[in-house]
Amino acid sequence: MRFSGVEAVGRLRAGSWRGFKALDPTLPVWVGAALFLVFLMVLPLGWIFVASLKGEEGFTLTGYSQVFTESAFLKAIWNTLIISFWVGVIAVLIGSLLGWLVTRTDLPCKKMVRALVMASFVTPPFLGAFAWTLLAGPNAGLLNKLYRSLTGSEEALFNIFTMEGLIFVMALYSFPYVFSMIANVCELISSDLEDAANILGASKLRVALTVTLPLTAPALVGGFILAFLHSLSLFGAPAILGLPAGLHTITTQIWALFQYPPRLDLAAAFSVPLLVATMLLIALQKKILGRRGYSTVGGKGGQRRLVQLGIFRLPVFALVLGIIALSVFLPYWILLKAALAKAWAQPLTWDNFTLENFKFAFFQYGDTQAAILNTFKLGILTATVGTVVAALIAYITNRQLLWGARYLTFFALAPLVVPGIVLAVGLFLAYARPPFVLYGTIWILFIAYLTKEMPIGFSQAETTFKSIHPELEDAGRILGANRLGVLRDVTAPLARAGLIATWCFIFIGVIRELSASILLFTPKSKVVSVVIFDLKEEGQIGVIAVLGILLLLVSFLVILAVQWAARGEILATRE
Amino acid sequence: MAIVSLKGLTKKFAETAAVKDLDLEIGDGEFVSLLGPSGCGKTTTLRLIAGFLQPEQGEIQVNQQVISSPSLLVPPERRNMSMIFQSYAVWPHMTVFQNVAYGLKFKKLSSNESEKKVERLLQLVHLETLRGRYPAELSGGQQQRVALARALVVEPQILLLDEPLSNLDANLREEMRFEIRRLHEEFRITTVYVTHDQAEAMVTSDRIAVMHQGRVIQVGTPEEIFERPRTSFVAEFIGRTNILRGRLDHSGKLVLGEGLVVQAAAQESYPQEAEISLCLRPHNISLVGSASEAQEWQQKGYNLFSGVIRRRTYFGDTFDYVVELPVDRLTLRVIAPSSRRYELGQKVFALAHPDHCVVMGQG
Repeated sequence: MRFSGVEAVGRLRAGSWRGFKALDPTLPVWVGAALFLVFLMVLPLGWIFVASLKGEEGFTLTGYSQVFTESAFLKAIWNTLIISFWVGVIAVLIGSLLGWLVTRTDLPCKKMVRALVMASFVTPPFLGAFAWTLLAGPNAGLLNKLYRSLTGSEEALFNIFTMEGLIFVMALYSFPYVFSMIANVCELISSDLEDAANILGASKLRVALTVTLPLTAPALVGGFILAFLHSLSLFGAPAILGLPAGLHTITTQIWALFQYPPRLDLAAAFSVPLLVATMLLIALQKKILGRRGYSTVGGKGGQRRLVQLGIFRLPVFALVLGIIALSVFLPYWILLKAALAKAWAQPLTWDNFTLENFKFAFFQYGDTQAAILNTFKLGILTATVGTVVAALIAYITNRQLLWGARYLTFFALAPLVVPGIVLAVGLFLAYARPPFVLYGTIWILFIAYLTKEMPIGFSQAETTFKSIHPELEDAGRILGANRLGVLRDVTAPLARAGLIATWCFIFIGVIRELSASILLFTPKSKVVSVVIFDLKEEGQIGVIAVLGILLLLVSFLVILAVQWAARGEILATRE
Repeated sequence: MAIVSLKGLTKKFAETAAVKDLDLEIGDGEFVSLLGPSGCGKTTTLRLIAGFLQPEQGEIQVNQQVISSPSLLVPPERRNMSMIFQSYAVWPHMTVFQNVAYGLKFKKLSSNESEKKVERLLQLVHLETLRGRYPAELSGGQQQRVALARALVVEPQILLLDEPLSNLDANLREEMRFEIRRLHEEFRITTVYVTHDQAEAMVTSDRIAVMHQGRVIQVGTPEEIFERPRTSFVAEFIGRTNILRGRLDHSGKLVLGEGLVVQAAAQESYPQEAEISLCLRPHNISLVGSASEAQEWQQKGYNLFSGVIRRRTYFGDTFDYVVELPVDRLTLRVIAPSSRRYELGQKVFALAHPDHCVVMGQG
């Protein structure tokens, strides 16, 4: 077979080649996405700084001076620091214990334990906090009633409406962060590293203290900071458990400043320390984790031998189940019970059984119906738009399509350092006035969610594109496909599973969002999390439980969808 | 007809030039290798030819038509080229057949016609039985063949190969070298082949362009490059060699050191007293033990070096010796048949024919 070059030469001679500038028809898409992202991030954060410095006339520092001198504000800052510190400590203890147990020992049912930790992770902390008010409220709390009936005592065993109670609940929903970091590190440390110390004469304890612990230390510190940050930015749990006891944290204080009469300048000024603290902590965490590249220690190839727990195997397993019971079993059980009972505090007998709560929540109570619709509308909308934007931005940064592409990474990850409530303050300032009047519609919530979920969406999309070798696209180009053709034929099918996962993560993040929604909702634009918060005031416990179960169910279904999508990907790109 | 000319091509990455003022002419149907160590700019050059990169200076012409210049860039999809990538870049979500057929979508062919072409190519690379498989179910060598078939089926004017064999294991690599040459002899597509492996370049190429620090420093047939390297970099990169520094005296002989004067091969005109290097391949040196035998050879015109064996390594069919010369502690590596054996510390005479003593510029 000889190639007839005639056609080819004809193509080459086509005069249109001359003067064909390197103008890419897809360029506006990339530039547009980049500008949109920058706009999305800069506007609210810029407004916070501006508002915090703005007085009646001109710029002033009175907002800051008031925040840092008034004792109520100082008390809130102090409370936040104490709570976050202890949450960090407890989360590290529980998280590292569980992380180590499921990766390096012969603990039974490890897969199930992992799934249950995942369930704690998915449970919105405000829902956990609510469940714990039913379990350990001083009067009606079931655990207290149980205690009283067993001992005949008049006292309550637990009072969840205290700082200790708050710390306890927040730690239950923060430890999964530490868990995942420790589990990752433990999976990377090969037994060879420990054996090497062993053969040089170190005892088991010494090995643990001089090799294993230092290797995991960065992850422990990193996990502590992550849990600390998480509890710093939580609003729901402190509002549900702290406020009844008159306990303010920074987030609840910001929320209080938004109540009538709103003091936006103070809210903004109060947001700045929280913002600065998160920025510093994230910078610190990056430094600790990045410094010595521990995560690559051992790498692949090294074997990991499991520690035999021996006679402690079952007691340890019971302990693990006990911890999981606190974060998952007990709260889920009480929610289910409250949803199905006429009187939640009574035993769930046939007489006490009812489906009224479901009927009420789904069909009768207008607020919940609208809120459910809003939540899922916003979830689908934000996840779809967010995935598109995140994918475009990740594609730009990964393939270096634009000048300065790596700075886009900074903008996409910026919301990581912005607690939801602070973001809400900024968004309120930015979008409650011309030229962008979005306040009062669900669009301001959409913008808030889009901004807040951008880091997760972006990281997920980044990972996806990183795994698609650029040469796969080049191969399509050289064979005759233009840039769009390659995106359609090669990039999109290969990125499909990863982008489905991106969509799902954003969706889950959105439907459980409370701390930004609580400042941005209006009676016409309520979402489920806000309704749960409101109904708490009204004591509609059964309805809250129904809504909570709905959120949890949808979240778990979506996670199953992610796993299904990921399995498809493994089949397609296994090498 | 596809004649490729690279003229004064320069490409910078973050202010450091990956390719500097590079000139190269590739004839119609010619197979040219770009050979050099990693980071020498050979892959950048290939991607410039493919149109994935735009040069800062200079231009690329195909048949006298400019296709790349600082002000003009014909996109890759309109260059009628094919490329085989280091990672193979076989699409994991398409079957073997779909992979190979992809490029034909853009040619106006009937589906019957294109199916025939794909089948033909699959037969040619011995993949006809695997047409329905996904790449994940193929070995590295088979994926490589898919990439080959995919690149050839579109009947490109120019074929570009970017270290296509570097991910294969040693045996397969050797086999694929001959396979690539065979396909070239069948199709005679103008081919540019990037590699850092001199043996690969020698087996496959009509001509080799040796690159160093973004420039082409010598272009020639494999024989020319091996036997007449122009610089010590080329000599050392292609095959093992002894490099001895010295200068030319007024009679055109080469003075290497005190009393060490060598008659070199006919050379390009270097000015008298020029500082030059001498390339002397280890297998072009013979060792003899007796002084009288050595003198006999010397009278026949051979260059004679006397020295002492300092190291001996056994390779089965050969010995690899290091001979230390009395001048300036110079050493010579000599590869000699294992039938003759010299001991450590033994005085020997090394003989080299002037034709094998190649004068090169320094650097």
